[in-house]
Amino acid sequence: MLYEQELKTFVEGTTNFFEVAAQQPASIGSPYLMEGAPAVHEYTGVIKISGKREGVVYFTAPKAMLTVLLMKMQENDFSHETMRDLVGEVANTISGNARRDFGRDFVISVPSVLSGEKPEIPQRPGQRSFIIPINWRSHSAKLVVSLT
Amino acid sequence: MSLAGTERRRQLFTASIGTALMLVMGLALIWGFRLATHMRANIIALQTASTLQTYPEEISHQLNALRDRLEVRAYSGQALADLQATVKRFDQELRVLSGSVDADSPQLGHALLLWHQYAPVLEPVVSFGGQPYVDSDNAGSSLSREGREHYAEVKRAQLFASENARPLQTQLANLATSLERTSSAGATRLRSLLMGGVFAALVLAVVAAYFQLSRARHERAAREAQEQTRDILKTVREGFFLLDAHYRIGSVWSEALTRMFGRNDFAGLTFEELLEDLVPQSTLATAMKYIKLLWGDRAHENLMKSINPLGQLEITTDNGHGGKETRYLQFDFHRVMGPEGIKHVLCSVGDITSSVLLARELHDSQENANAQLDMMVGLMHVDPLQLVSFLDTAETGLKLVNTILKEPARTDAEFRKKLAGLFREMHTIKGEASALNLKSVAMRVHTLEDMVGDCKKKPELSGNDFLPMVLKLDELLAHLRNVREMAARVTALKDTSAGSAATAAADFAASAHAPLAPAPITAMAPAPAAPAAPPAPAAALTAPAAAAPPARSANQERPARRVEELSPALQSMAERLAQDHAKRFRLTLNGLAEVPAPYTATIKDCLIQMLRNAAVHGIEPPEVRRAQAKKDTGNVQVDFRRTAEGYELLFEDDGAGIAPEALKAAAVRRQLITEEDAELMDTRAAMALIFRPGFSTQEDITMDAGRGVGMDVVARSVYALGGKIGVSTHPGKFTRFKIVLPATDSLSTAVA
Repeated sequence: MLYEQELKTFVEGTTNFFEVAAQQPASIGSPYLMEGAPAVHEYTGVIKISGKREGVVYFTAPKAMLTVLLMKMQENDFSHETMRDLVGEVANTISGNARRDFGRDFVISVPSVLSGEKPEIPQRPGQRSFIIPINWRSHSAKLVVSLT
Repeated sequence: MSLAGTERRRQLFTASIGTALMLVMGLALIWGFRLATHMRANIIALQTASTLQTYPEEISHQLNALRDRLEVRAYSGQALADLQATVKRFDQELRVLSGSVDADSPQLGHALLLWHQYAPVLEPVVSFGGQPYVDSDNAGSSLSREGREHYAEVKRAQLFASENARPLQTQLANLATSLERTSSAGATRLRSLLMGGVFAALVLAVVAAYFQLSRARHERAAREAQEQTRDILKTVREGFFLLDAHYRIGSVWSEALTRMFGRNDFAGLTFEELLEDLVPQSTLATAMKYIKLLWGDRAHENLMKSINPLGQLEITTDNGHGGKETRYLQFDFHRVMGPEGIKHVLCSVGDITSSVLLARELHDSQENANAQLDMMVGLMHVDPLQLVSFLDTAETGLKLVNTILKEPARTDAEFRKKLAGLFREMHTIKGEASALNLKSVAMRVHTLEDMVGDCKKKPELSGNDFLPMVLKLDELLAHLRNVREMAARVTALKDTSAGSAATAAADFAASAHAPLAPAPITAMAPAPAAPAAPPAPAAALTAPAAAAPPARSANQERPARRVEELSPALQSMAERLAQDHAKRFRLTLNGLAEVPAPYTATIKDCLIQMLRNAAVHGIEPPEVRRAQAKKDTGNVQVDFRRTAEGYELLFEDDGAGIAPEALKAAAVRRQLITEEDAELMDTRAAMALIFRPGFSTQEDITMDAGRGVGMDVVARSVYALGGKIGVSTHPGKFTRFKIVLPATDSLSTAVA
C-alpha cells in the first residue's frame, strides 16, 4: 500500500520542476484512481522503480503544454527531440526527489522517454494507478504512479 | 594484571639495571683514571730514579777529574763547572723524586739520608769560586792557598764518594726497582679494571639489547593490539565510544557511528551535542538525566538498564541523497570502573532499524491476521446473498466516489463541490457495512469520511488535500477485494455439504476471481449532478419528487434483493447500536416483504440511517427513561405497507423526540443558519433542518452520528424516487418518520 509521503514526493518532484524551470508553479488537480493503463499524451517520461516498491511512475504531457513551457524557458528550439528532452528532464527531477526522500529503499532507473499516443509502458495487468492531474497555466498533464 | 602496570614495572627494572651498570662503569672509570694518574707519576719517578742512579758514579768521576786537574795544575774550571751542574741536577731531581714518590719508601729514605750527608761534603767543592793557582816565574804555576784548601775539599769529597757513592747508587737502583714493581702492579690493576669495565660495558650492552628487544617485542605487540582494536572498531556493526565525567566522547570510537549519525567529529563532542539535532528536546532532557544518573555510584547498573530511555531511539538523519531518513538506535551503557570509582561510561549504539521495522511488520501482520480471523468469524454470520449485495453496492459506491474525484477541478469551489457528494456515498456504504457488522469496512469508510470532513474545514482546498483520500480509497477497494475473497472461502467452507448454498458459494467464488470491478474504473457511473441547494424548510416535509435533486444513479444498478432478507442484519445492527450507545430497545419490523424490487436499495438505506438516528438521538438511556416513567427498554417500530397511491414506510421510536429549539441551536452552532434566521423559524421549518446536509445535533463525530449526512441521504433517495418524507414528533414521547413512495409503475416517469 502506497504511503501519502511517497505520493507527495513524486508530486513535489513534478511541481517543483515547473517552478524552477518556468518560474511559474504548477498545481495539482483532483487525484483519482484508474485500473489499467490510462491514456497518455504525446510525450511521456518514465522511471521504473524496484526495491521497497515495484512499478513505474511517469509524467505524460501534451505537446502544446511542452511548447509553452519551452517558450517560458526562453528556448527557441521546439523540435521533437527538445520535447523529448524536456519530458526526460521532468522525469529526472521526479527521480531525484525520490532518491532524496527514499534513499536506499528504492532502486530508481534512469528515466526513459516515450513519444506517441500508445507507448509501451510496462505495467502489471489489473494494477490500479494513481492519476494526479498537473495543471499549469491552461494546460494539464498527468502524473501516473503505478506502484505495488 | 593490567598491561599498563606490567609496562611500568618493566620500565622501572630497565632504569634500575641501567643506573647500576652506569654506576659500575663510572666507578671503574674513576678508579682507572686514578690508577693511570698514579702510574704516570710512578713512571716519571721511575725514569727519574733510573737517571739519578747514574749520578753518584758520575759525581765520583767528575771529582776524580777535578782532583787530577788540580794535581797537574791544569785548568779545572770546566771540571768544576761539570761537577756543579751534575750536583745541582742530582739535587733538584732527587727533590722532585722525593715529592712524587711515596714518602714511606725506605729506599728513598736511605738515598735522601746519604745525600744529605754527601751534599754538605760536596758543598765546599762546588761552591769554590776562587783562583786555585798562583803563577810565578820561577816556580811556575802552583796551588794557591785557596787552591790547596779546595784540593783538600775535593780529596775529602772523593774519599766520601768512594765510600758512599755506591750505597747511594744502590739505594736509587732499589728505588727504581721498587717503582718499577709498583708501576707493574698498577698496570696489572688497570688492565683488570679495564677488563672489568669492558665486561660491565658488555653486560650493559647485552642487558640494553635484551630490554631493547623486549621493548620492541612489546611495542610490536602493542602495535598489533592497536591494529586489531582499530580493525574491530572499523568492522563492528555497533557504535562504541567512551563518555567522560563531563559527558564528552573520547578520542576512540567505532566507525559504525559515522554511518549511524552521518558525521565523524565525535572526539570531544558532548552527548548532548550528539543528540540535540536528532531527537526532540524532551527526549534529550530525559537522556541527559539518565546519563547523569549513570555517573552516580548509588544506582545499580541492572536497575539503570531497566530504566534506559534510549533503548529504542528514533532519529532522523541524512539519507546520503540530500533527503532524510528515520532510523532506530538502541543505546546501551556500561560503567567502566577504575581504582577511584567510575572512570568512563562505555556507550554502545546498535542500529535496530531493521528489527524495529520487522517487529512492526510482524505486529501489523499479526493484527492483519487477527482482523482477518475476526472478519472471517463475522462473515460466518452474514447471509451470503446480503454480503454479495453489499460488496456490489459498496464497489459501485466507491466507483462513484472515484468518479466524483475524477471530475476536473482547479478552483476551491470546484474542489469543495465534490465534498458533499463524497460524504453521501461514503455514508451509505458505512451504514450498510455497519448493518452487516463489517467493522473493518465501516472503520475504513469512517476514516475516509473524516478526511472529507477535515477538507471541509480548510479555508482553501487544492488537489493536495485530496491525495490522502485517494490513497484511502485505494486501500478500501483493496480491502473490499479481500473481504470478497474471504467471504468466498467462508461460504465454501460453510456450505460444502449444503446443495442449496452451493450456488451462493459458486457466486462468491466467481466474484472473487473475477476482476474487482465488472468494468474498468474508467467506465464508472458519471458523477452526480452538483448538490442542489437543500430543500426549503417549509417544503422539506412534503417535497414533491420534482423538487428533489437526482440521487446516485447507482441505486438503479444495484442487484434487487428483498429487504426482508436484511431483517436479521438490521436486528443485529440494532443490538450493536444498543450495546455501543448503552441503550435498550426492541426493533420490530413489519411488512418488509412488501417492498417492491425498485425500492429495496432505498428502503434499506433509509432503514439503516433511521435506525442509527433512533439509537443515537431517539431512545434514551435506561436511567433517563426510568426517570420519565418509561420502560427501560424502548421500542423502534418499522411498518411498510402498500397504499392506494403507492407505498408507505413508517419508522417510529418511543424516545426523546425532537425539540425544535435544540435543532435551531445546533444549526446556528454549525453556521447553517444565523441567529436571526433561527428566531424567525417556525416549528415546521426547524424540523426540516434535520434533512439539511451537514446538520447534526451531535457535536462529536462517531461511527454512527455527527456528520449530518444520514438524513440528507435519506431525503435525497426518497426524492429521487419521486417520494416524500415527513417527520412528526412529541418531545419526550416519540419521533415518527413517514416516507411515501409512488407506485412502481409510475417510477420510470418520476426519475426520468
